[in-house]
Amino acid sequence: MNSVVFSHVTKTYGDKTILNDISLEINQGEFVTMIGRSGCGKTTLLKLVNGLVTPDSGSILVNGKDLKETDKVQLRRTIGYSIQNVGLFPHMTIEANIAYVPSISSMPGWDKTERKEKAAALLTAVGLERDLLDRYPHSLSGGQKQRVGIARALAASPSILLMDEPFGAVDEITREQLQDQILKIHEERKITILFVTHDIAEALKLGTKTLVLNDGRIEQYDTPDRILDSPQTPFVRELIEKSRNFSVRV
Amino acid sequence: MELISSILGLFKDRGAWFASLLLSHIALAFSAIILAGIIGLALGIVISEKQRFAPVIMGVCNVLYTIPSISLLGILIPFTGIGNKTAVIAMTIYGVMPMVRNTYAGLTGVDPDILEAAKGMGSTESQMLFRIKLPLAAGVILAGIRNMVVMIIAVTGIASFVGAGGLGVAIYRGITIYNPAMTAAGSILIALLAIISDFLLGKLEKYFRKRGS
Repeated sequence: MNSVVFSHVTKTYGDKTILNDISLEINQGEFVTMIGRSGCGKTTLLKLVNGLVTPDSGSILVNGKDLKETDKVQLRRTIGYSIQNVGLFPHMTIEANIAYVPSISSMPGWDKTERKEKAAALLTAVGLERDLLDRYPHSLSGGQKQRVGIARALAASPSILLMDEPFGAVDEITREQLQDQILKIHEERKITILFVTHDIAEALKLGTKTLVLNDGRIEQYDTPDRILDSPQTPFVRELIEKSRNFSVRV
Repeated sequence: MELISSILGLFKDRGAWFASLLLSHIALAFSAIILAGIIGLALGIVISEKQRFAPVIMGVCNVLYTIPSISLLGILIPFTGIGNKTAVIAMTIYGVMPMVRNTYAGLTGVDPDILEAAKGMGSTESQMLFRIKLPLAAGVILAGIRNMVVMIIAVTGIASFVGAGGLGVAIYRGITIYNPAMTAAGSILIALLAIISDFLLGKLEKYFRKRGS
């Protein structure tokens, strides 16, 4: 079954075309990494999925439902969202941060006592200790914040997870640990992940499929090994030139 | 030295009178503080959610703020008469400006990444306001409250010119009967009231700022 379907989606800001006639099908359980230069439209593509951006033309289906006929607030509660600068709420404890979506949507099974256990379980799932629950975000390291951000995005058991350069602001070693963690989460939970990155090595390491975007158009949408073996356009060829030596998910 | 001893003498001899003036001063100031607080907070929220109204409302508040307090009291007399009502209206008009300005600054100053995360996770507009923006703006808003409280307590000192009560009565009487000690005594109590309020609100502001950042 298709998790997300774009058909002929176009988005412009002023006279600049950000996305030009994008058509794309993403299967349930796929891990799609999206790569391209800054301003190529990859973040816009991601924000179309949870309705933060509305297309000028074309249609988008999420879990089989047209976004035009979907309540955006309800939709967003079923889609995990994690961004580069994390956006943890500084006035809430880690526990309250993780439980945010269940809390705003009065989700059953998240009463006071259950909430602590569920938040603790999510912390464990992202490789953190439960004693962080009562701390505030400012006392956490960059890597810990990213992990809490992922735990928060997973809290409402979403079927789709959107990640916008989630590991952009951490050091190389932490980044590698976070990458392994998200791979593990993907394998355990079988959720659809859309992951924006500007690092081709990261894109090829994590994705079951990689989408290469350039100037608002899809250059290639393929498995990482096919992208490496048979790049379809000069842009893709140039992009992978530098990454011949990196490992690939198979 | 002579002034200080006559002030102390006044407090001793007329303690009950000063106490009642102090209480009515607090009551007057408090009414204006509550009104200005509610109106200012509401206007600040409105203009930060509907930004196109911001220049107009801020402009009006700024103009009202520049009217000298004694003349504002005078202007109001034909409309609302003399007495406590006029004083409270005038002080409320003054107090609204710092409240609107700080509420607006606090709400629009929240980190856009935090707002985007909150929106992207499915918050409604009112959840964004009450769970995210207002708690994060609380420190800045409290700074506005502090500013307003001190100012209103001070301005209440001249409310007796339009026949209102409060410590201004002692100040005014001291001037008219040429008793500088009485004027000074009233002023000292106003200053003390303002300093204590400022100190307590400062503590509260510090707590919220620490939590919010």
